Amino acid sequence: MTRFPLLSRIRFRDAGTLLGLVLISLVFAVQSDVFLTQPNLINILQQSAINACIALGMTLVIISGGIDLSVGPVAALSAVLGAAMLVAGVPVPLAIAGALATGVVCGFVNGALIAWGGLQPFIVTLGGLSLYRALALIYTGGQPIFGLPDGFRAFTNGSLAGVPNPVVIVAVLALGAWIILNKTPLGEYFMAVGGNPEAARIAGVPVTLTKLAAYMISGLMAAVAAMVLIGRLGAAEPTLGTLWELDAIAAAAIGGASLMGGRGSILGTLIGCIILGTLRNGLTLLNVQAFYQLLATGIIIIVAMLIDKATSGKQGG
Amino acid sequence: MIPRLGLSGITKSYGALQVLHGVSLTVLPGEVHGLLGENGAGKSTMLNILSGVIARDGGTIQIDGAPVQITSPRDATAAGIAMIHQELQQVPELSVAQNIYLGAALRRAGGLVVDRAAQEAEARRLLAPLDATIDVTAPIRSLRVAQRQVVEIAKALRANAKIIAMDEPTSSLTPKEFERLVQVIQTLTAQGVSVIYVSHKMDEVFRLCQQATILRDGRLITQVPIPQTPVAQVIETMVGRELAHASHRSFATDKVLMRVQALTRGAAVVDASFDLHAGEVLGIAGLVGSGRTELMRLLAGVDPADAGTIDVNGQTPGTGPRARIRAGLGLVPEERKRDGIIRHRPVTSNIGLPAMRRFSRFGIIRKAFLKARAETLMQEVRLRPFDVTRPIGSFSGGNQQKAIIGRWLATDTQIFLFDEPTRGIDVGAKAEIYDLIEKLAAEGRAVIVVSSELPEVIRVSDRVLVMREGRISATLGPQEITEANIARNAIPA
Repeated sequence: MTRFPLLSRIRFRDAGTLLGLVLISLVFAVQSDVFLTQPNLINILQQSAINACIALGMTLVIISGGIDLSVGPVAALSAVLGAAMLVAGVPVPLAIAGALATGVVCGFVNGALIAWGGLQPFIVTLGGLSLYRALALIYTGGQPIFGLPDGFRAFTNGSLAGVPNPVVIVAVLALGAWIILNKTPLGEYFMAVGGNPEAARIAGVPVTLTKLAAYMISGLMAAVAAMVLIGRLGAAEPTLGTLWELDAIAAAAIGGASLMGGRGSILGTLIGCIILGTLRNGLTLLNVQAFYQLLATGIIIIVAMLIDKATSGKQGG
Repeated sequence: MIPRLGLSGITKSYGALQVLHGVSLTVLPGEVHGLLGENGAGKSTMLNILSGVIARDGGTIQIDGAPVQITSPRDATAAGIAMIHQELQQVPELSVAQNIYLGAALRRAGGLVVDRAAQEAEARRLLAPLDATIDVTAPIRSLRVAQRQVVEIAKALRANAKIIAMDEPTSSLTPKEFERLVQVIQTLTAQGVSVIYVSHKMDEVFRLCQQATILRDGRLITQVPIPQTPVAQVIETMVGRELAHASHRSFATDKVLMRVQALTRGAAVVDASFDLHAGEVLGIAGLVGSGRTELMRLLAGVDPADAGTIDVNGQTPGTGPRARIRAGLGLVPEERKRDGIIRHRPVTSNIGLPAMRRFSRFGIIRKAFLKARAETLMQEVRLRPFDVTRPIGSFSGGNQQKAIIGRWLATDTQIFLFDEPTRGIDVGAKAEIYDLIEKLAAEGRAVIVVSSELPEVIRVSDRVLVMREGRISATLGPQEITEANIARNAIPA
């Protein structure tokens, strides 16, 4: 532990998030007999999978000093384009590739405006939030696309050794994101650009490409989330993904990502997603009204930030 | 005599790292007491503990022989302790009087209204013996740094401070302003106020202090009477070894490493042309704003040039920092915090940043390899504390500088661009950086050093370019490098 103070500190923060999850779970386990059963736990993971997908990309964007508010509409646009291809008989792998490419292109547009255009991430992706939603609505005329082929749906509805495929997909993506952030030059660049963009530039970090990469990954993740969702629903609605960006930002923040950039944790974000999923699941089991679920979510986010503030104050030096 | 202030056995740790090992400090009434040590020796931690900003782990604090509990800045103020920080903590838009009474406004009408007139009268009374020329109704932002400092001292007196700690108070003062400060400090001590004086400048310490406490690596080394103790002995005690007083050695060759022709950017840099040779240390002198920093930024590709060419080893590098780094240039910027370090990242990441690809295999960073390389480099430059996995922001300025230099050593940089390399760095680390510059030259690399300190330019340079209003006004060869020559060419006609 003492050999890697920074490592142990990040782990310290993740341990805190985990502790929060355990405490919340304990409360529900005491209150409800169903909560701690295997099907319910798997259910929580499955329900958290979509948010986790989005939040992974969001975490990388936040660490690089940006924000991506357009993830929901990017997912919707990817969903309707992918669904249209599937319904038109395009082979499943090709249609999926098309949908994912849509997400990447949307991310590229966001990233290009921010990195080359020098515009503020909040404003650019706020614009994207309307723009991509509008494209999805215009393309479909506001109508859902039904009749997705079973071959496609089998993929997202299947399971691997009892674990639903969406959870497996998220696990694989999370591992990928963790490797990128902690093991590759790109990860160092994300943290450097988010931590001090000017110093990073002088040190030879390809700042533009780094920002571009963050938004493209975020777009890709949004498209993956879209595929998982339409596979489960069997239809693609142009209005899907509303308010996804807020859940993703909340999960990343609970997990320790700093909206000032430069800091964040993939593991923390994952646990953050599960905390949000657990809250919803547990409160539903206890028959708590939806209004109160919202209240609880808000309180958890603020409490997490307060604890963060209180503990990071002691890391002076 | 009962000491005004007695700290004893003060300890402080951050995690496993102990930064203060039972340090004691005794200050008599009316005494100016120097607190000396290199960057990272624990001076700032001591002052922060004294002013209640950070909590100590152990030890006691006594004032006039009675133990006091200091756990917050408010406690410190109540106990009569005031801090004059390096970066003054004032509200620029408020008036001098309002700043003096910040958080303790005088009131009238049953406490409902701030009594401005009374505040201004009192402020005038407090300032009279210090600097009567200061207008108490003027906004702080209209004052010079030296005057703001005096206002801060007046504020300390308003709070009935018995002990005033000054952290590097002269870092941005002119010699004349320093004389003024000496008078102010003498006025204070005549009233029985004790002053703790932290400075790297030995001449100031010897001018002002009666006693000095010397810290090294978080330990109390000794307390010595000033000025009876020789300067060299004080410095050696601080640094813990003898400083070599090596005279300048030249390793300059005839081989042109970089040729700069007619480099121009707006009016900041106009028509700059010069050659840089392998093994050469080229000083750039000039007044602040004469275009020195701008020239360095052009060379490093940080800002684009409007016109002119650069040749490195006979080839023209592309634009932008990345192309220049590939061509073998590396900038050690003046504003370390803003342009140099990634604060939250460990020293290893900060060192490896320009060469991440080289430290990677199959796209994965070889962290152990990077760490080993960083440790080798940092051992050479004596990083303290020696832990390359700590965030760079937790190191002192001098040690951050060593890491930034290490960054370019790890990248095999051929041309080092140092912009004010020893700014805010203590004597020991300064000498280390001079040695390092000499070593780089001895290895056949080329070094450009921009510095506002003439003795520094004269000490390190083989040749000096003097800049004036964006242009190179003179090139001084080895025999011509004197303060007079530099000054004559630096000052606009």
